[in-house]
Formats: sequence, structure tokens, C-alpha cells
Amino acid sequence: MSKSTSTRRDALRKIALGLTAAGSLQQLDAQAAEHVHSAAAADTKGGKYTPKLFNAHEWATITRLSAIVVPADDRSGSAVDAGAPQFIDLLCSQNQELAVIFTGGLSWFDAEMRKRVGKEFVSATPAEQTAMLDAIVAAERTVREQGAEQALFARAQQYKSFSGYTVKPGTDLAPGVKFFDWARRLIVDAFYTSPIGVKDVNYIGNVAISKYEVPQEAIDYAFNRSPFRIV
Amino acid sequence: MAQVQRSPEVFDVVVVGSGAGGGTTVRVLTEHGIKCALLEAGPMLNVAKEFKEHQMPYDVPHRGAEDGGAAYFGKGKPFGYFSTTSGGWELDGEPYTVGEGSEFRWFRSRILGGRTNHYGRMSFRFSPYDFKPYSKDGLGYDWPVTYEEMSPYYDKAERFVGVTGENHNDMPSAPNGQFLKPPPPKVHELLIKKSCDKLGIPCIPNRRAIVTEPMKGRIPCHYCGQCGRGCQTASAYSSSQVEIFPAMKSGKLKVFDNAMVREVLTDGNGKATGVVYIDKNTRREKIIHARAVVLAASACESARILLNSKTKEFPNGVANTSGVVGRFLMDTVGFGLSGYVPAMEGMPHYNTDGFGGAHLFMPWWKWDKHHQLDFPRGYHVEIGGGYGMPGIGSFQGAARRAGYGKGIKELARKEYGASIGFAGRGEMIPNIHSYCEIDRNVVDRWGIPVLKFHFKWSDYEWKQARHMEKTFADIINGMGGRVTGLSAAQREADGISTPGTIIHEVGTVRMGNDKRDSALNKFNQAHEVKNLYVVDGGFFVSNPDKNPTLTINAFAWRAADHLAEEMRKGNV
Repeated sequence: MSKSTSTRRDALRKIALGLTAAGSLQQLDAQAAEHVHSAAAADTKGGKYTPKLFNAHEWATITRLSAIVVPADDRSGSAVDAGAPQFIDLLCSQNQELAVIFTGGLSWFDAEMRKRVGKEFVSATPAEQTAMLDAIVAAERTVREQGAEQALFARAQQYKSFSGYTVKPGTDLAPGVKFFDWARRLIVDAFYTSPIGVKDVNYIGNVAISKYEVPQEAIDYAFNRSPFRIV
Repeated sequence: MAQVQRSPEVFDVVVVGSGAGGGTTVRVLTEHGIKCALLEAGPMLNVAKEFKEHQMPYDVPHRGAEDGGAAYFGKGKPFGYFSTTSGGWELDGEPYTVGEGSEFRWFRSRILGGRTNHYGRMSFRFSPYDFKPYSKDGLGYDWPVTYEEMSPYYDKAERFVGVTGENHNDMPSAPNGQFLKPPPPKVHELLIKKSCDKLGIPCIPNRRAIVTEPMKGRIPCHYCGQCGRGCQTASAYSSSQVEIFPAMKSGKLKVFDNAMVREVLTDGNGKATGVVYIDKNTRREKIIHARAVVLAASACESARILLNSKTKEFPNGVANTSGVVGRFLMDTVGFGLSGYVPAMEGMPHYNTDGFGGAHLFMPWWKWDKHHQLDFPRGYHVEIGGGYGMPGIGSFQGAARRAGYGKGIKELARKEYGASIGFAGRGEMIPNIHSYCEIDRNVVDRWGIPVLKFHFKWSDYEWKQARHMEKTFADIINGMGGRVTGLSAAQREADGISTPGTIIHEVGTVRMGNDKRDSALNKFNQAHEVKNLYVVDGGFFVSNPDKNPTLTINAFAWRAADHLAEEMRKGNV
């Protein structure tokens, strides 16, 4: 985080310098922009998070689920490291509809696990936890293949509903499939919108540069794998 | 009326609306020394607060999902939290209605600068043939002006706005202009160009209103790539920063914000005397008088104002004896398709943000081959691709396919940056089923009767969209890629953009030589009210496949020069 933040600070500074040279046009008030930026950043930092909505058990469950959905590997941390539980708790605390989806879903996870192995989700072994997720994902795939096109290709346009699958009635795992779709969506978004996730996919834009260039190395790489030859 | 508050100040001209048309008008008029009042229905723009282009998603606790995850429920800001859209498809307390069997969505911006704060900056001057479409194929209507008459104003507008591009002597669909140096093409664009070469489709440097060298106090683009969020350095054009703020410094311009205009006032002798507006802060009606009135409230909003300005002299609304106001509503035909290109999997990453949009585009390539096609008018193609800033929803495709676990990361890394997208933007023929009118049964929160929309695509547009689809699939396949965007089932239902959603709505106060079938003359001056001009997209006679903003800049500039001259001569 500190690296990319300082890069953007440098960028803003560069822009501010350019503006001083540019003169009187009302454009960037760089100081103000910087202020807004740091105020926002400060909010995401800091000590121990106290859940606003989830109770201790729900918090432990969503934390465990986040770690399974996007686990750490040799390149980057997990969704827990990326603040997924905080992100989900925050949004749920602001939205009753979302809160119901999550508290209800987490509770269903416990009930399902109890049915399977007589334990709550967090108390189950990792193998038992992944076995249950495997079953949910398998059910989801069946549903997706059956329910098909519409769900697969629903356009996520802002003004249309974003919500996902229609689950066939009679599937025992249906509530789990629905909830898991929501949980995964928010966990994955939390991961990739964090400094860890941005670094994981190696996004290197949104910086101020004076000249835009495309590296020959990248051109060569793609062309050598394409039907075309470089002129 | 006795209680209505009149502005104590006297203005030469009152301008309604602060987008490309209104901004250009007040800038040019104040340069002529004319004192203007500018009315904007939204608040004043605060650049530092409003424009979020340098933020990353983690700079806000909701990461862009908005409070309560509104974006997940389709209730977030249009185009996402970070974009600069003070406005939207639905505005609280300012409804519109849609006729039975029709679909139309109306985007309205409510802030100084309007949609120019976040628009795509695509800046395409019309081609000579675009001004005479009826003469070419017998459909629609000709403009009352020629390319030769407008070309000098396109030159001026391009030089002022700052447009990138290159001249191509053999490209009638993309005439030469006054261009700044464009940035080099990105890798996916080079691949697309190769694929287009094989298909005989031209792929040329994009024409966008972004300065790539210092210009009149604007510093060059710094390639942060987030133009849709507003540009704090005004390297990307906006009427607020580039026209209005400088004009305010001249001392000749006063801006009234939160001023929602209801009607144009006339004196009973064919002259406008000012406008009535609702001050949104106090919900009180106010009046501003001026020697001339310029409407630039957006095509449909200006039509609404005229239709709501009914008098004994103008029972159909001011300047509307012809009855054309509200008719001939057009949007651009839109169709999009995305593809996946394995050649780019694992490519060494580089910064693909560039100047915030594609560096290349495809102008229409069959302008002389319409006899071979089953649709009459052309389209251009816009390109998407690259390593976009991760945001809400970015990797959901990978997540769903992987299920859960490490596979999500692996798939996301592999696929990131290997997708491309195409957006066709085509010309619609005006038709009698597409128009707006006043809905007599509904008023907005300001008590102003609202618009009711009617809209139909014809076969011309549907067939054009099918041509786009085939073309995009050919390009994708030609580069070893696969189409990912739409399924067969989806094509049936969703094979053309919802009317209004390309946000190029124009034509509702059209110009013409004959006052029986047009509202304005070729200088954007109302035939019936000489001191009334309309300079937003309302004046369009046709809607060529050239995004409308630059044409609005050029015509508004010409109209302002005309008005200044008429005022000098004492005709207005």
C-alpha cells in the first residue's frame, strides 16, 4: 500500500508543479485533492476492527469462509488479509437486505454442516469445509448449465439487477448456492479492490507519466503468439 | 406574477444549460464583450471534490460498491462510484414517462458542465455526405448547411477544444482536421488493426478531446487513464473548466446554479424577453430578463421548455408553429461484443491506461458501398481492452468459473488483460414513431410538466446492428480469439442498445430552411423568434455515426458569432 500510495502522491505533486507553470485556469487544486485522498486512505488503515453488524460467531465464520474462497499463496495474501470480512460487515451494517442475505446465509452454512458432520462450519475440519463447498459449487454448476444463458450472460449494467442465479426448486443446496454466490462475489471484490489484490494482478496504471509508450517486449510477446507477424 | 422575483441585474443574453452548447456560447459571447447569465439546473462544480480520477478502490471503505453495496443492487451511480455523473437515468423528483410499447432511457446531468465532465471525448467532425443524407439515399432529411460552411467552425472548435488525430486523405468518413499528436497504439489495438487489415477495415488514431501538448493554460494529458471520472488538469475537455471558469473571470458572466428553467417568456410580438426558473434552493419562481435567450439545456430538455412555453401567440409552444418541436428524436445505434484473445495471456504487463480510452478507432469503411448492404447508413467502431483498474465486479467471471480457492487467483492472473471489446456506434434514420411530448398528467417536484417518450428502432437499425455483430465476430476470430460477450439467446433479446442509452439523443428542435418543417434556421436561430437560439443537440437534422459533442461545439460557436453580429446590427 505504501508504495502505490507514494507513487500516486508523486503523481499529484507532478501535476501540481505542472499547474503552477500552467497559470491561472481553475483546474486541479492539488492540495485539496491530496487532502481528500489521504482522508479516505486513513479510513481504511488502523488498528483492530470491531464488527458493526456481525456477532463474534458470524465474524469467525465469514473470516474462515473468506480464507477458503481466496486463500493465500506464494504470490499474495488471502481475502482476509485484504479486509474482506471488514468490507462485508461494513456494507451489511448499512443495508438490511444485504444483512439478511449474510446472517441468514451464514446460519444456513452452520445448519448444513451440522447435518453433515454434527458441527458448526467454523468448528469443522478444513477437509469437511471444502467438501461442503465442493458440493455447493457442483450444485451451482448444474444449476448454471440448466438455468443457462440468462444467468451466464446477464449484463451487469448499472441500471439492471446485478443478482445472479435462478435456482431450481427442490435442490436442497439451493439456499447455499444463492448465498455462496453473494459471499464469493463480495469476498473476491474485496480481494481485488485491495492493495494486495491490485498488486496480485499487477495493475500498474493510474499514475502520472509525461510520455505514453508501449513496450516492444509486450508487442513481440503477443504477436509471436498471434496469427500475425510484426511488420 | 406580481410576487415573482425578478433579477435586479440586466443581462444581454440568458443562456440555459452549461454543457458543450451553453459553455461554448457563454465563452464566445463574453469574448465579444456581451454580458451573459448562465442558468444550470444542478450545483456549481467543485473540481477537487467531484473528480476522483486519482483514487484507487481501496481509498474508500466501500471500495466503489457504495454505501450498503448499492452497486450490487443496481442502485449505484451510473458508470460506477468513481465516475463523475451528477445526474443519471433517474433523478429524484424529476421523472419522465414512456409511452406504451416504447422503451427510452433519458440520461440527465445536473452540474455545471453537464455531461462534458465525464463524456467519452470522442470528437468526430461530420463528413460532407453527413449533411446531405436525403440527397444521398432518399431517407431522412438534408441539413440546411453544407460541410464547406461548417468546416471553418469545426477547425476552430478542434483547435480550441484540443483534439488528437491524424489526417487521412482517402477517408471520406473521417475528414481531415486540426489535430494534436495522438498517443501510440496499445498491444491489443495493434492486433485488432492487423485483423482489420485482413478484412479491409481501417483502424486509425482516435480523435479525442484531450490535449497531448500544452494548450492555452491546459497542461498535457498525464495518462492516468481515468477521463470518465473527470480530469482535474482539464487536459480532457470539459465545458466547465475550459469554457465557463475562464469566462467567469472575464467579469461578463454570472452563473446561476440550481436554476431549473420552466419556460421562455415572450412579449406577444414574436420576441423573447427572458426565462422563468425555479430556484431549487428556495423552491421559488424567479425571472431573468435579457435581450436574447439561448437554450442549451440538452435536446429533450430544451424541447420541454419550448413546449411548456405556451402563449396566445404560440399555442403549441414558443417557436413551434411548425409542430416539429419534440419530433424526430434520435439516439445512436449501439451494439457491443467482447472477445478473449489467448495471444495476450501472460503478456509482460505494461501500463495500458493511456489517455483513458482507445488509441485507435475504426471509421465507417463502406460509405460508397451501401448498395451492397441491407441497411442505409454507417457506423464507427470503438475499442476496449487492456489491464483496466481492478474494481467491483472485475474478476467475477474468473471467480465463478474457478468456483473457489487458489484457482480464482490463477485464472484471474491468466485472463487479466486478455479481453477486448467492440462498441458499434451507428446512424439512425429519424422516424415518426420516435418523439417526445409533454405528459399532461405528470409534473416534476418543481411543478413543471414532464416529458413522455416514444421510440422505435426500425429495420434499418436492427440490420445495421446485425452487421456490427458479424463484423466484430470476424475481427475477434481473425486474431485467434473467441467471442465471449453474447450468447445466441441473448442476441435475440438484446441485440441492439436500449433507446437513449448511448446518450446521443438529438433532433427534437431541428433546423431547416423551411419554417413549416423546422424550428430553427441554419444559424440555430428560431424562425419565429429572432432573439431565441437553441444550441444543444436539439438542432440536429440527422444523427450521423459521429458522436455529437464536437458538432454542438462548432454550431454553438457559429450561433454565438451570429447572435453577437445581430445584436451589433441592432436586429436583436
